[in-house]
Amino acid sequence: MIPNSYLILDDGSVWPGKSFGATPPAADSLANADVSFDGEVIFNTGMTGYHEILTDPSYTGQIVLMTYPHIGNYGDDDSWSEIGPESGREGLPGIKAGGLVVRSVYDGRVPAGRIKLNEFLKKNGVCGISEVDTRGLTLKLRSEGSRNGIIVGAGPNGDLSEEEKKAALLYLQSLPSMAGADLTGKVGTAEVSAINPEGKIHVALLDCGLKMNIIRELVSRNARVTVLPSKTTLEDIQTLKPDALLLSNGPGDPEPLESQASLAAGLLGKIPLWGICLGHQILSRAIGGKTYKMSFGHHGLNHPVRDEKTGRVFVTSQNHGFAVDEASLPDGFTVRFRNANDGSVEGIENTDLKLICVQHHPEASPGPDDSSWIFDLFLETLED
Amino acid sequence: MPAREDLNTILVIGSGPIVIGQACEFDYSGTQAVRALEEEGYRVVLVNPNPATVMTTPGIAESIYVEPLTPEYIESVIKEERPDALLSTMGGQTALNLTLELRDLGILDKYGVEVIGASVESIRKAEDRSAFKTVIESLGLESPKSVLCRSIAAAKTTAREIGFPLIIRPSFTLGGMGGSIAFEEAEFDSLVEKALRASPTHEALIEESLIGWKEFELEVMRDKADNAVIVCSIENIDPMGTHTGDSITIAPAQTLSDREYQKMRTAAIEILKAIGVDCGGSNVQFAVHPETGRMIVIEMNPRVSRSSALASKATGFPIARGSAKLAVGYTLDEVMNEITGKTALAFEPALDYCAVKVPRFETEKFPSAYGVLGTQMKSVGESLALGRTAIEALNKAVRAAESGYDGLECLELPREEEERILCSAHPRRLLSAWTVIKREGRSALDELSRKTGFDPWFLHQMANQAELESELERSGGVPSAPIYLEAKRYGISDARIAALAGIGEQELRTLRESENLKPCYHLVDTCAGEFEASTPYFYSTWGEADEGEPIGEDAVIIISSGPNRIGQGLEFDTGCTLASLAWRNLGHKTVMINSNPETVSTDYNTSSRLYIEPLTAEHVKDVLRKEGAKRVVVQLGGQTPLNMAEELEASGAQIVGTSVEQIRRSEDRQLFSAAISKLGLRQPKNRSASTREEVVILARQIGFPVLLRPSFVLGGRSMMIAYGEEELEAFLAKGIPVSPERPVLVDQFLEDAFEYDMDAVSDGENLYVGGILQHIEAAGIHSGDSAAVFPPYKSTPAVLDAMRDAARKIAKEFGIIGFLNIQFAAKDNVLYLIEVNPRASRTVPFLSKASGVNMVALAVKVWEGRSLAEQGMVDSTGYGEGRCLTGWAVKEAVFSFDRFVGLDPILGPEMKSTGEAIGTGATFGEAFAKVQRAVGTILPKEGRVFVSVNKKDRDTILPTVKELVDLGFAVCATRGTANYLFEKGIFSEVILKVHEGHPNVLDHMRSGRIQLLINTPSGRNSQIGGEDIRTEAVAMKIPYTTTTSAAAAAVHGIRYLRTGYAEVKRLPKTEKFDVSSKNDNISKSSVLR
Ligand SMILES: Nc1ncnc2c1ncn2[C@@H]1O[C@H](COP(=O)(O)OP(=O)(O)O)[C@@H](O)[C@H]1O
Ligand SMILES: Nc1ncnc2c1ncn2[C@@H]1O[C@H](COP(=O)(O)OP(=O)(O)O)[C@@H](O)[C@H]1O
Ligand SMILES: [Mg+2]
Ligand SMILES: [Mg+2]
Repeated sequence: MIPNSYLILDDGSVWPGKSFGATPPAADSLANADVSFDGEVIFNTGMTGYHEILTDPSYTGQIVLMTYPHIGNYGDDDSWSEIGPESGREGLPGIKAGGLVVRSVYDGRVPAGRIKLNEFLKKNGVCGISEVDTRGLTLKLRSEGSRNGIIVGAGPNGDLSEEEKKAALLYLQSLPSMAGADLTGKVGTAEVSAINPEGKIHVALLDCGLKMNIIRELVSRNARVTVLPSKTTLEDIQTLKPDALLLSNGPGDPEPLESQASLAAGLLGKIPLWGICLGHQILSRAIGGKTYKMSFGHHGLNHPVRDEKTGRVFVTSQNHGFAVDEASLPDGFTVRFRNANDGSVEGIENTDLKLICVQHHPEASPGPDDSSWIFDLFLETLED
Repeated sequence: MPAREDLNTILVIGSGPIVIGQACEFDYSGTQAVRALEEEGYRVVLVNPNPATVMTTPGIAESIYVEPLTPEYIESVIKEERPDALLSTMGGQTALNLTLELRDLGILDKYGVEVIGASVESIRKAEDRSAFKTVIESLGLESPKSVLCRSIAAAKTTAREIGFPLIIRPSFTLGGMGGSIAFEEAEFDSLVEKALRASPTHEALIEESLIGWKEFELEVMRDKADNAVIVCSIENIDPMGTHTGDSITIAPAQTLSDREYQKMRTAAIEILKAIGVDCGGSNVQFAVHPETGRMIVIEMNPRVSRSSALASKATGFPIARGSAKLAVGYTLDEVMNEITGKTALAFEPALDYCAVKVPRFETEKFPSAYGVLGTQMKSVGESLALGRTAIEALNKAVRAAESGYDGLECLELPREEEERILCSAHPRRLLSAWTVIKREGRSALDELSRKTGFDPWFLHQMANQAELESELERSGGVPSAPIYLEAKRYGISDARIAALAGIGEQELRTLRESENLKPCYHLVDTCAGEFEASTPYFYSTWGEADEGEPIGEDAVIIISSGPNRIGQGLEFDTGCTLASLAWRNLGHKTVMINSNPETVSTDYNTSSRLYIEPLTAEHVKDVLRKEGAKRVVVQLGGQTPLNMAEELEASGAQIVGTSVEQIRRSEDRQLFSAAISKLGLRQPKNRSASTREEVVILARQIGFPVLLRPSFVLGGRSMMIAYGEEELEAFLAKGIPVSPERPVLVDQFLEDAFEYDMDAVSDGENLYVGGILQHIEAAGIHSGDSAAVFPPYKSTPAVLDAMRDAARKIAKEFGIIGFLNIQFAAKDNVLYLIEVNPRASRTVPFLSKASGVNMVALAVKVWEGRSLAEQGMVDSTGYGEGRCLTGWAVKEAVFSFDRFVGLDPILGPEMKSTGEAIGTGATFGEAFAKVQRAVGTILPKEGRVFVSVNKKDRDTILPTVKELVDLGFAVCATRGTANYLFEKGIFSEVILKVHEGHPNVLDHMRSGRIQLLINTPSGRNSQIGGEDIRTEAVAMKIPYTTTTSAAAAAVHGIRYLRTGYAEVKRLPKTEKFDVSSKNDNISKSSVLR
């Protein structure tokens, strides 16, 4: 392979490959690049679902490395996208991830009605790089933890000069770390929008970067969903009078999301509170718990989660780089769900206060549907 | 939940002899299950009459029986051992069906044996196709339009409703036995009839055709707590219409969107739930319409299977082990995956590579049988290869199949033939597609996809390779490092790159050296790198980070035998496995290299390290370099490793045991003959002809009959016996090449000679003979195909001593260190050498078990410098010999002829059997009767025997016929034989030969009047005559003997059967068998909580 593009990590390591999707900027003109090419490099072990992953707002600010070597096999179809309503925020990209790293990208014929991954990335101005030693990179990230990285074009003669490398590293140093990053501003809706108005139960959905399938799951359970901007206030909720509040998934660190946490704290015990992924982390902080940054997180479609109440284990879709510190949880809040591999907190419950939240993604998409019953669990908190 | 306390002894039923559709995958699963159960402290009782298996090796299971898999014998075992439970899911269809039988006969209830693994109810629901259909529809899923029919009339009506083509599938058969595709009315009736006959319940499903749809398999595990995981998804590159066992397949599925895949995943789990599989693994098969994505459920198997073995090797997830644990009460989250040592089995493997399986066919041996593939499995083995990309894995897997293709290679075919293959389910369909792509490039893809049903995705990968190759061809000469690296990343061999670039392989080796280019190795870790793996299981790829430290000088590299094929199967792989265990018990590290996913040798804890690689010198040398190991064993894996010995040695490897020099000497006809005559031993007269004329001349010199062996004929070597000039002409007319480079070997054919097999271990000084097997059929029928008995039952001490003496001389002469296999023939008390193999042979496991001496462990100790004397195996004269601990042990070959419609089951000098069984007993009769039962031949206790023997056999057969008469058998005979018998005072009914009109012998067979056939035509007729009788006998399962000796043996068997006993005896366990493996590489604790 003659490389024409490189993935450069903030430790100076350089990973050659071949560019696809949007043309990557040259290393010396990164500042004014008009394509997405940077972010925290995380690996995802899913063997399918690249389209759902690329369009999942939780990946904002991250370059996704797919560990499965063949990506793009079945093309892309906008109807699979996971981006939420985003009302009032024109011009947001259709791909949320900052870049895509693969071993081999498929560029052949795709089924009618779909487009090639290459075009899909181009259309959305996102850089991809293939022919990369994704396994070597994954093992590195596993042992050293996730790092920031950028995808840059090769110099005129196909390689990368020392100057270009310096420039790249300079840029990388300027990149913020994921720890402490509030990315809710970059995602989600700006306006209140009502979905399925004739639905029976009224669920307020705080959009911190929600996945469309959460709405689909709620609506399929005959819920009327009001999607709210993540900066919504207690007053807004009190006037809205929903039956329950669901804090959505989303990108970044839960720690800086104080307004969201205090909103939840204000509603604790008044209406049922549910959370998914980032929403679960926010709720945990709202009740006084702590969160921490994991070394390389859980990103995949095969993570086993045990329901400590029933002993049942189910395979879940996961995507998180932060987790809830069990020791920090106040009394009365029990760890209902636990990761069957590393024992980390996967969900919290307080039946009296009608609070229940999960770290994994019951809405799947991509991934197994095994835990869609969690939405029924949410709704049960409404029964008396 | 912990393992069940209420169980004590567990009965495990194996799958019996190797047949097409049921091969060593069940030895792998069974062995894993036995280990998993004994780990939990259960006492395991194992029944399997297949002597070639690892599972029947003393020490593997607490108590082993090599008895026939029939209700009466299993009942005897149950009576003897009083098991609390029966694990039904490890022995394939055989064990499932047997479990149902035992239940129906009330035997399980009678002795209070609980069925674990899969309940009888769930087996019924899954196996009975109409019951299954009902379940599928109740789940709102689709199954193909179909009607279950019990008669041809009913089938006809259905045909009218659904319309052709139609799939005909009998209920309760394995590997699609008796199934077929009817394309038009004309063939329909006969196909339905065949199906009804094949089905034990005389039912067949007449089904809508889904030919050309995409085919998928999911391997699912589910426990009693309702937890379920998908271990692996497998996509068939060959679309529906080709049995998955005959399809080139890839894991994971490549062309399904996440939504499609999740839909399939959920459906599979729902199906297990509905069928009631709640403590084990199953595979579920789906068809998906290439355009609409419409998903249809094909079938499920509520047990471990060929594909679950494949999935285990492809992912590193031990399905059989897990199933055994679940069967005794664990749940998925409680059982740890030893590969990571960190994750539970409640985890879905994530792959970061592709695993491609390529079936191995016997197209050369049975050309007629492979015109087109269908819903009935015909392949005899398979190879697995892993690669980072689909194309890399595909090229490696095609190479690993050892079918004469080094990877994707073009076929030289006339266009019409090429077209026919493209448009039909043909073993070479992929290669002809490749041929077209090479010729016409990308533009051809869409049409190719339409013709072949291959998904465009796969063809696209091939097109990429075609473009790379034309670049290599264009530029020519030694490629640049980047281009070479690119080619290697496509999985192309050095030999092929050299050919494309028009250079010698040596020049590439130089390039490798100068540019320091070598493959890197990745761990199979089940988790795509997310967790650290603790079990070293590797595959090679190029241009990426290398994993794993060299194992070092001390380790021994064992080259196994690759995909199963006729002549090189499970026996050899078992030898490799036992050797690895033996070495590890001596505290050494072992590295196993193999490409056969079905075997125990490719289980991750058999060796210190495992490499799934094609068995070619290039791949083996690379592994040697990587591991920094020197010692290589080539004596155990059959011909495959032996053939690369020289090249390995040349590259600095140290061949363990007998030197390469001596191996060459023993295989070179001239050198060998010279040595033999020097030793004063005799070979059949043999010469080598380099022109057609010479063939004739030499034949006349030697004198008819002669045995003709063309050299270098791919696969089947079309050996033939010529009894006269005409046949010689016929042989030469077959267009067999004769030239100085490709001489034809002309041997004096020893007619009516006794043949013997001897396996021995030598330490260079002394000799231990494991045993001498005497064939029951005369020489001329391949040693692998003829029944054989241990100890020799009809031999003068003089002949036996002559063999012992010859063996000692040969071992010395050829400096044998390790294994020696000799085939002898004795005619008129003169001893001839038929063949000498400086390696372990097919019969080593059989003799080891019958004699209670683990010959492989013996050899390993010899190789480690412990003489036979030190091991106490030889007497003061330096000779030792095993004796049969079971009294008598008979080996019988098993054929899969019933899969090759209309194929003449004639036996000859070329091997045709797929497997073997053992029968043991206090008398020869008992052993013979049992082995016949074990291979499914039902010797009659009464009825009518048909006798038709040639003149010179008459006096020999007379006592046999007398005995049968005494036993109350009626006799019918052809005119000549009848007259002779009459003179001797035996009255027999005269019946017509096939060509003498009607009613002839065939009519009598069909009307069920004949229960036993004795037919010993001599000379050429033994090779060509009686074809219809043989074919009919096979079809109707009527016992058939072609030799007087076999007939006599049958009478012994019949006498035993008439005693009505079904005695069983535990295989003797001796201290000479220590196979407990010291697992230096896997975490001890296997259970999490
Ligand atoms: N309705 C059908 N149309 C076309 N091909 C079929 C159909 N049903 C089965 N097949 C083919 O026959 C093969 C064997 O069928 P299967 O139900 O799996 O029987 P088995 O028990 O032998 O595995 C399948 O792998 C598939 O390729
Ligand atoms: N000269 C011979 N006379 C009679 N039978 C022979 C002779 N040579 C070989 N055979 C028969 O052919 C079979 C195969 O021959 P062999 O040399 O053993 O080939 P292979 O390498 O396949 O074992 C033998 O088992 C034997 O039955
Ligand atoms: Mg099948
Ligand atoms: Mg032989």
